[in-house]
Amino acid sequence: MSDRTQPAPLNAALKAEAEAFLVAEGRLLDGQRFEDWLALFAEDGFYWVPAVPEQSDPFNQISIFYEDKSVLTMRVRRLSHPRAYGALPMTRTAHLVGSITAEPGDEQGIDLVCRSTVMMADYRAGGDRADRRVWAGQQIHKLRRTPEGLRIVLKRVDLIDCDAAHGVLAAPI
Amino acid sequence: MPDTIDTADLRSLVRPNGVHRRLYTDPAIFDLEMERIFGRCWLFLAHESQVKKPGDFIRTRMARDDVIVTRAQDGRVRALVNRCTHRGAQVCAAERGTAGGFACPYHAWTFGLDGTLNSVPHRQSMPPGFDIKDPRLALAQVPRIAIYRGFVFGSLAPEGESLADFLGPMASVIDNLVDRAPDGEIEQAGGIARQEYRGNWKLHHENANDTLHPSFVHESSVAAARSDKRDYATPAYDDHQTHTQMLSNGFGLREWQGVGLTGLANGHTFMGGFYKSGVLAPGADDPVLREYRAKLIARHGEAKAAAILGEDRFNNLFYPNISINAQYQQLRIVQPLAVDRTRIVVMCFRLKGAPDALFHRAVRFLTNLNSPASMILADDVEIFERCQAGLSNPVPEWLDHSRGLSTDRDAGGGRMESAGVSELPHRAQYAAWLRYMAGAA
Repeated sequence: MSDRTQPAPLNAALKAEAEAFLVAEGRLLDGQRFEDWLALFAEDGFYWVPAVPEQSDPFNQISIFYEDKSVLTMRVRRLSHPRAYGALPMTRTAHLVGSITAEPGDEQGIDLVCRSTVMMADYRAGGDRADRRVWAGQQIHKLRRTPEGLRIVLKRVDLIDCDAAHGVLAAPI
Repeated sequence: MPDTIDTADLRSLVRPNGVHRRLYTDPAIFDLEMERIFGRCWLFLAHESQVKKPGDFIRTRMARDDVIVTRAQDGRVRALVNRCTHRGAQVCAAERGTAGGFACPYHAWTFGLDGTLNSVPHRQSMPPGFDIKDPRLALAQVPRIAIYRGFVFGSLAPEGESLADFLGPMASVIDNLVDRAPDGEIEQAGGIARQEYRGNWKLHHENANDTLHPSFVHESSVAAARSDKRDYATPAYDDHQTHTQMLSNGFGLREWQGVGLTGLANGHTFMGGFYKSGVLAPGADDPVLREYRAKLIARHGEAKAAAILGEDRFNNLFYPNISINAQYQQLRIVQPLAVDRTRIVVMCFRLKGAPDALFHRAVRFLTNLNSPASMILADDVEIFERCQAGLSNPVPEWLDHSRGLSTDRDAGGGRMESAGVSELPHRAQYAAWLRYMAGAA
């Protein structure tokens, strides 16, 4: 069935733009270039990983992450501290982003909305304590076009096991 | 096997200044703990608001038992072992919900909310002696349930001390949490956070009132917060609470020394508060707190409201399974899973009649401290796991907890007190551990 609300060429161009952005973001995270990742967020941007399935808001229900750029900046600074024990050694990650769709934003200040599925494998070295895990879920990126490129106004990741018991999650998803 | 550890053996593992590594690593000792500590003590099971009306249920864990807390048709709260009496299958797969009863998926034995066996299929094939009313065919009941101001506790021991005796002075922590509600009632809300770590359960309790570790373990989050020179007068989505929570572990040793520590005879321990800046500090002032205080004063009057709000105690540990922070409406359950594996389950409460924004702060507190991505707890958990890994080494055999030993004060009635930088809480916990495990000396 054709998508009547979005002509195919526009959709394809948006999808290509979204895909390029999401792939680049994943590479920054996997490369542990957290300062550069932080720079992808708009000044009013938020990073949200709910802790409750189908969570409606971040104020009345707990989250795994719900951080504005200033708190996210503290998080990134902590990761670079020589005694951030929970992140020593830093978790290595591999992001895989797929099933991407994109559409124009329909809110003030949002130019592009991308939905995708993300899988992040993480590995923490540590001899007998070494640990390998997989995190997976649906994500939505609400993006704004700026002269510097696309910026994240909201990144929300709904993990399939967001309400499960987890061990420490040192790396952002 | 547990029966190979005798009383003298257990006594030889705890000294005034330290404990033996086997307490953290020996599965036989873990088995005995499940029998003699978690199998006997009063354990927090649920808050009444989680089972408001008949049919409501929520699952939890007591020692090794998967337990369903229900409110039956008669309005009573019960706790049932989640195991069909026929072939042993769990009758309930949901974490919580509302049901008319529990039907086993295997052969459809059905049980009421009070555990009674209501029906079995193909009755005519059962032998003449099969009596559906036989209590042994009902879901096993937790023998003792007692409720204190909405907090449901259970004990797997048919006999033992009363809940009131078990709680002792800790009942005031529950009083304080409930009394903070302008309408006099609280309810669990906002979701439940869960974390698991690869370490013994006691590592959590030792850390809860350890005032020396934050200077070292939490240095990275303190430094990250200090590098952020923000102005608390500028509006923020979290009222700067995250910054405050990270900053607060940055006390100097002299300030930590000023935080009082208390240990009680049955292993309950607590410390004074240390959140001294931002919206979490006692006496903090902002429009949300002003509105809240006015409502509390309307209910209790100035003096009592001030006394309720002035209570500033942190990590009130009810040995062996919960920790409550009344002033932030937080409750943490500690569930030992194996000698080297522990789950923590954390919830918060809405104070009925308080502004919504106050509840948002409780939710934020829970997220900041208990998310798997917490910038604070992540470092504690790393230390628990390093301790567990380190303790797998057979030598040295002993751990030291002598800090402050010579300056603890006996306040009478088994109550010990100390200034902040002492391992008094460890000693109180292990004295109780030994009494539970090996009986009174």
